[in-house]
Amino acid sequence: MAFAYYERLSRAQQKIYRDSDGVTELRLERPADLHPLVAALEAALGTETRAATQAATEALIHGLTEALGIPRVAVEVLTARPHAKWGELHGLYTVTAGRRPKIQLWMRTAKHKRVVAFRTFLRTLLHEVGHHLDYTLLRLPDSFHTEGFYKRESSLFYQLVPDQRRRSPVRAVKSMEEWAAAPVDERLTRLERTPSDLARLVRGHPEAVLSRRPGPDAWAAKEVVCHLRDAEEHLSGWIRMILAMDDPVLVQTGTADRWAEERQYARHHIGAAWDAFGRRRDETLELLRGLDATAWRRAGHHAHRGRVTVDDLVALMAWHDENHLDQVKRALEGRA
Amino acid sequence: MPTMEEYARQPIAERVKRLERTADELAAAIKGQSATVLAKRPDEKNWAAVEVLCHLRDTEEGFGGRFQMLLVMDDPKLFGPDPDRWAVERQYLRNDAGESLAAFRKRRQDSLDTLRKLTPEQWKRGGIHPARGRITIEDFVTLMAWHDDNHLDQLKRALEGKA
Repeated sequence: MAFAYYERLSRAQQKIYRDSDGVTELRLERPADLHPLVAALEAALGTETRAATQAATEALIHGLTEALGIPRVAVEVLTARPHAKWGELHGLYTVTAGRRPKIQLWMRTAKHKRVVAFRTFLRTLLHEVGHHLDYTLLRLPDSFHTEGFYKRESSLFYQLVPDQRRRSPVRAVKSMEEWAAAPVDERLTRLERTPSDLARLVRGHPEAVLSRRPGPDAWAAKEVVCHLRDAEEHLSGWIRMILAMDDPVLVQTGTADRWAEERQYARHHIGAAWDAFGRRRDETLELLRGLDATAWRRAGHHAHRGRVTVDDLVALMAWHDENHLDQVKRALEGRA
Repeated sequence: MPTMEEYARQPIAERVKRLERTADELAAAIKGQSATVLAKRPDEKNWAAVEVLCHLRDTEEGFGGRFQMLLVMDDPKLFGPDPDRWAVERQYLRNDAGESLAAFRKRRQDSLDTLRKLTPEQWKRGGIHPARGRITIEDFVTLMAWHDDNHLDQLKRALEGKA
């Protein structure tokens, strides 16, 4: 299924779009050869220094271009992301006549200047490499965000970080009980991946599709993103209360539907909402990673749910993420 | 405009009356104003009228949450909200002023419904605020009355293009 902007393209561009959409996978002959470079990049990003991240990013991108037999690309890692129209710019691929094409990647968020999560950084890196591949490997005259493009990006991602799929199947929606039984690490991985999974789902769709409700009572994709942003603030607020007090009562000041109406989600900009969700999520993960085993067992009391531990809330968040990702997918396809 | 201290000395019923009037006063202030004027910031940093309305709406929800906590817990720790972050994250400038005011009116009604049912003992229930120390429900009502005055004034200034 072509994205809606396909209709606005010229016939020549539509041909390029179809060619791009038709290629859904890029196989690396020996992906394991690149795994040390991926691990080195994760470690470099962990040092939070630009120079180390620049070197490791260059090494990985060079490894990829070598493995795929395509010309090299200049790489520049920058610190805080600039603001773009719809939020923060994560990466950029530019081609200037007579010069080597260039990939720019930002390693820190715009407002809080935090280092971005490794998987988010790697996703962005592969996205920009994807544009380079469109021109050099697929020999396309233009590089469109087609479904094929995102699938190619994913295929490279899963070859470079193969344990992603083993840890949690991408599309199977688990029950709350299954999430509660899943190891903490798996739940945290789910939470970490959600902003990039969400971006992949919504990228390239026009405003009309993002704002379209599949049914009178079913949220549009945009409203789901706003809901995830506000739920993140709400649930992480509960976790902070549980950590600060003994057995606090977890109060709720509104239903999700009341928030959607009062805060006028339908008027929000989805990119800015996504960006805010990502920042809130990064903060939650930072908090959770700093907890010891005792803290995970601390609890509060909820009127309907009864006793709720931090561990329970993280299971709830993982389940909640997966459900709403599925809901976004359905909303974009016009299904309630 | 009474100060916090002056409001604190007023009988509770007076303060509650102040809270009852606010939604109508806001409605009168924005009546006939265009969406452009309502969303116009007097300068780079100061809120436009619609942002003030959204702030009042969201703060009212926060006050309601605090009342719930204070009524069921003994001296709980209270966390300060981050109004500037809300203004950006919840995209106040994209909100419709009339809808925001309607939402504030409902939230305010919820607060008033809660307050009208309180016993004298419940008015004295409190929590520990990070900046203000122990704060009771009665103190919150003082704060709300003063907060209403301030933001009503800010909204009127914003409509005149003044910071």
